[in-house]
Amino acid sequence: MSIPTDLKYSKDHEWVRIDGDSATFGLTDHAQEALGDIVFVELPETGRVVGAGDAFAVVESVKAVSDAYAPIAGEVIESNAELEAAPEKVNEDPYGDGWIARVKVSDGDTSHLMDADAYAKFLEE
Amino acid sequence: MSGGGSNLAKTPLFSEHIRLGGKMVPFAGFEMPVQYPMGALKEYQAVRDGRAGLFDISHMGQVRVTGPDALGFLQYVTTNDVSKLVDGQVHYSALLNEQGTFIDDITTYRVSETEYYLCINAANRHKDVAHLQAHATSFDVTVTDESDDTVLLALQGGEAQALLQPLTTTDLESIGYYRFAQLELGDADAIVSRTGYTGEDGFEIYIPNGTAKTIWNELEAAGAVPIGLAARDMLRTEMGYALYGHEISDRVTPVEAKLMWITKLDKGDFLGRAAVENRKVEGARLCMVALKLTDRGIPREHYKVVADGKEVGEVTSGMHSPLAGCGVAIAYVRPEYAATGSLAIDIRGKAVPVERTTTPFVRSHVKR
Repeated sequence: MSIPTDLKYSKDHEWVRIDGDSATFGLTDHAQEALGDIVFVELPETGRVVGAGDAFAVVESVKAVSDAYAPIAGEVIESNAELEAAPEKVNEDPYGDGWIARVKVSDGDTSHLMDADAYAKFLEE
Repeated sequence: MSGGGSNLAKTPLFSEHIRLGGKMVPFAGFEMPVQYPMGALKEYQAVRDGRAGLFDISHMGQVRVTGPDALGFLQYVTTNDVSKLVDGQVHYSALLNEQGTFIDDITTYRVSETEYYLCINAANRHKDVAHLQAHATSFDVTVTDESDDTVLLALQGGEAQALLQPLTTTDLESIGYYRFAQLELGDADAIVSRTGYTGEDGFEIYIPNGTAKTIWNELEAAGAVPIGLAARDMLRTEMGYALYGHEISDRVTPVEAKLMWITKLDKGDFLGRAAVENRKVEGARLCMVALKLTDRGIPREHYKVVADGKEVGEVTSGMHSPLAGCGVAIAYVRPEYAATGSLAIDIRGKAVPVERTTTPFVRSHVKR
C-alpha cells in the first residue's frame, strides 16, 4: 500500500497536494484498491466551488457508486479529462496520472487532515 | 473487506476461494467471492476473450423429481413443455404462482421419463422446494432437495471444452447445446450440461461435495480463471439474460418479462396459465426494453427511466459494457414507451439519453 509522504490525507481516503495557491485532489491507493476496477469518473465542472468535505466527484467501480469528498475548500480550475476515456488510471496510478481535480485554494487549513504516518496508522485501525 | 457473519453458509469450495484471495461477500445466504485479486474486469475479459472462467455457483439449488407421474407433475408446475424434452436434454423454464407471476426461473433436465433434475435459484430454494412438495401430494412423485450435497461449477469460455476433456473419457463434443451427459469426472459421478449464463460456449458441472476441491483445483491448474459474482453479473447482463429479483419476480408475468417463449399455453393446464392468458389479452402492464446510452454514464438498477419530463420506468440491470463501449441497461417501461418516444435514464439528476436496442448487447458465442 503506497502512501507518499508529501501529501495530506482525509479520513474519506482522498489525498491533496498543495502547491502554492492551488491544490490537486485524488483517491488514495487504499481507496482505489477497496473500490476495485474503476469504470467511470464523473468530473467536477470548472468553476465549481467546493467546501472541505463536500462531494466533488463521483467514482464508479464495476459494482458501486461512490462520492469523492474535497479534502480542503476551493474552486475547481481543472479536471483530469484523461479519466473520461481512461478511468482505470485511478487504479493504476492513484497519486499520479489518476488525479481527479485541481482547485484554487480558498482555505488552506489542513489541520483536519493527516500526514502519511497518521494516515498509515488510521488504515491500521 | 472480507465480511460476512457466521449465519452465512459456505460452499464446499470456501477454502479455495480464501486461498485464491477471493473477496467474500454475503450473497443469497452464502459467503461468496465477488472477485479475486485479478479484478472483475480482467475476470470478465478472460471469459470473453476465448479463455475459460471457472465459477463456483454451488449456492444454487438442485431438486430431483422421480416417479411415474414425474412428467405430468412438471407439466403442471413448470411453464415450458416438458413432453418435448428427450433423455439428456435441458430446457429453460419457470415456476409460476396462481397469479401467473414468477416463483422462480429454473432449468429442467430430463434424465428419463420418470426422472428429472431441476436447477433453481439460491435465494428461492426453500420457497421452491416447499411449493413443489405441496403440489407433489396430488401426483405419484418424489421431490428431493439435493442442494446441500451438490456442488455446481460453471466452466465458461472458448477454452472450456479443451480444459474439461482431460478429466473424462466421455467425448464432450457429443454434448450439444442444452444437452447433458451423466459421466465420470475423475472419481466423481457428474452431470455435465452444455449450458451457461455468459453467452460463451461452456458447461455447467454438477458433482458431489466431496469431489469438488479436486475438480476445481485440476481445472484451475489447467488454466481456468476463477470468476467472482461481479464478473458473472457483467457477463449475464451483457447477454440480456434475466435474473430473478431483477427482471423477473413475483410482480411480473412471462408476458412482461418477454418469456412467453418458455411459457407454452398450448400444452394443457398448468399453474398460472389462466392468469398469463388473461394478461396476454389485457396486454403487458410494463414492457421490458433493452437500452444503450448515447452519452457517458453508467445505468444501474433502480435508476428511473424518464420521457417527456416524467418517470416512465425503472432500470432492472445496468452496467458499462466493455465490448459495446457504452452503458447498457435492461428496464421496464410503461407500454406506451416500449417502442416510441425519446427515453433517457436519470443518473444523479441528469437525464442521459438512451436508444432502444436488442439483446444480447454484444455477440453471443454459444454453440448452437
